[in-house]
Amino acid sequence: MTLLSFARGPGMQGAVLIMVLGMFWRLAGIFLLRRRVAHAAARNKLGLRLLSGAVTVFTRTIPRRRFWPRVGPGVALSYVFHFGLFIILFGGAPHILVFYEIFGVSWPDLPKGVIVAVSGLTLAALIALLVRRLTHPVLKLLSTADDFFSWLIVFLPVMTGILLSGETVGAYGTLLALHLLSVEALMIWLPFGKLMHVALVFAGRGVLGYNFSRKGAAT
Amino acid sequence: MAALGVNKFDFLGDDGLVDALLMEVADLLRTLIADGRGGSIDLLGLPLSAACLAEVEARLGDGEICARLNVSGESVVRETSIAGVWRVRHADEAGNVVALLIEVAAVPEILKASRVDMERGLRRLREVTNFSLVRPAR
Amino acid sequence: MESGETVGDMLARRGFSRRGLLKFAIAMTSSLALPPSLAPVMAENLAMARRQSVIWLSFQECTGCLETLLRTENPTIAGLIFDFISLDYQEALMAASGSAAELTLRQAVAANAGKYLLAIDGSVPVKDGGVYSLTGGRANVDMLQEFAPDAAAILAIGTCAAYGGIPKAFPNPTGAVGVEDVISDQPIVNIPGCPPIPEVLSGVLVYFVSFGRLPELDDRKRPLAYFGTTIHDQCYRKPFYDQGKFAKSFDDEGARLGWCLFELGCKGPTTHNACASLKWNDGTSFPIESGHGCLGCSEPDFWDQEGGFYTSLAGGTGPSWRGAEIAAASGVALGAVAAIAARRKVPGA
Repeated sequence: MTLLSFARGPGMQGAVLIMVLGMFWRLAGIFLLRRRVAHAAARNKLGLRLLSGAVTVFTRTIPRRRFWPRVGPGVALSYVFHFGLFIILFGGAPHILVFYEIFGVSWPDLPKGVIVAVSGLTLAALIALLVRRLTHPVLKLLSTADDFFSWLIVFLPVMTGILLSGETVGAYGTLLALHLLSVEALMIWLPFGKLMHVALVFAGRGVLGYNFSRKGAAT
Repeated sequence: MAALGVNKFDFLGDDGLVDALLMEVADLLRTLIADGRGGSIDLLGLPLSAACLAEVEARLGDGEICARLNVSGESVVRETSIAGVWRVRHADEAGNVVALLIEVAAVPEILKASRVDMERGLRRLREVTNFSLVRPAR
Repeated sequence: MESGETVGDMLARRGFSRRGLLKFAIAMTSSLALPPSLAPVMAENLAMARRQSVIWLSFQECTGCLETLLRTENPTIAGLIFDFISLDYQEALMAASGSAAELTLRQAVAANAGKYLLAIDGSVPVKDGGVYSLTGGRANVDMLQEFAPDAAAILAIGTCAAYGGIPKAFPNPTGAVGVEDVISDQPIVNIPGCPPIPEVLSGVLVYFVSFGRLPELDDRKRPLAYFGTTIHDQCYRKPFYDQGKFAKSFDDEGARLGWCLFELGCKGPTTHNACASLKWNDGTSFPIESGHGCLGCSEPDFWDQEGGFYTSLAGGTGPSWRGAEIAAASGVALGAVAAIAARRKVPGA
């Protein structure tokens, strides 16, 4: 079995199953925790509480103006990276093809030139974020192995994807195998480290908004 | 021999390939003049689009000699407007191009009669003519 | 042919001039991606050579590889290869059969010991003592082990001989393997393809007869001149790949415009062969030009590739939906256990 056939077969199967199992494990494990019973009466009806929860997911996307000087650069870089990744993942023809092969739905792709430009920005933002983490006095203190490992496991798919689509360095088959394997590594790690923020950030904001609404606090 | 069809690199622009090719031809011609050693360029081994190939042929032009060979299919040897530079096209009996070359030489190799063939020819000549009139080769 | 006669003499006897031989050599150096200046050297070497003995053994095969070699249309240039080699043994073509055939084989081997090229097509079954492919009651694996040591080199012709091919496809009931899995101490050249392009075989034979050695090989023992690039590298539809113009289904609008077949499962990017440049049937066409994606037939285990011929290289075989459901349910169960265990630790809960 070659590296490529492993990546396109058992590797893919194992990684997806582990990711699904892991994500459900963590989400169930959090939502099934018993919460402290709130004895005070709710200030808002259930409908409004739920709505507040949903709205908070979006209102928290931009930090409050007061904090822009402090967190602005990091947030901006982070958005460039996240939106860039979103565009590559949902606008790139080979990725749309994968979605089609799994779910049977597809949509028009973006021109390759656009994807190339966005990939460059995404990679630059990702590297800049690492530099920031290594040089910022507070981030340096707070950073753990999880932070760096998660960065690496995101960097590898982006880097191998760029090399693969560029078709200048290395054999196509080898780069394809490495790209698939790095994506599978990301899928396996995702539920267990800080990458789980892909689900938890929305869950966290939603619960926060819900609780604040329950207390009658405007956010 | 399979037809080595010209690769359809039609999406490639000229990007200096024609100029580079002609510079190599000039270089070969220079060494031919200096010490008698020319050379050949295999055009089928290069990513030449049909347009590039036409451009090369147009720039080289036509000279005074055009020779058609009947050897395992047709071959055409055409002198270009540059003395010493020849375009050689070999085709098999089905008409497929099996080699396409630019040869830099006083006379392309394929046109020369080989010693072995000449010796055989002489033997045949002696067989079909009056013995006494033809002396054996020394 | 008279013994001691060179190829040059033999060709001359048949009225084939040295000029014709030079033209052949020019065509071959171009095909082998050798410098054109080597053509006169090759012609001279061919003229001086004795006919190269080739012993062809057919094992677990469909005869397609032999057919592809014989069906080359062009009579003179490709057929010339049969003037440079002496096919001393080949079961489908020779007149002898039965015990006369066995005698022919032994005589050919004895007369050319150390000098013959051993050409093999078909895979070598090794399970149960190799009983699944017998010639004259003798297991092919035993024949290979007997005749390989005295060969100058071994040509594994076709994907079956090179890597096991279709007999090796899951579940491989006969234990089929390629020649290189049985013989490790002899020079082997793999000429894969299902079938291989005939010009590749002629090219390798001419190179061997001209220069006395095998041409440069890649890490899978394939001649670099023909297998150094992928189908994708040479494909005339590559501009469409670069522009993102893909056919979405067979015979749709894109397919009719000749767009790239990547999404229909084309394995061109990972397949090494010369199909896109040499093409088939004397340059007539090749699968992609005829509207079907590359199957990857010159690569090992192509029959068993993940997702089959019509799943693109971007995809593969993922888990079943059932498997995903079970994974999700297991995750929830694990999460529940974790949450319950944590409950004991929450004060006031």
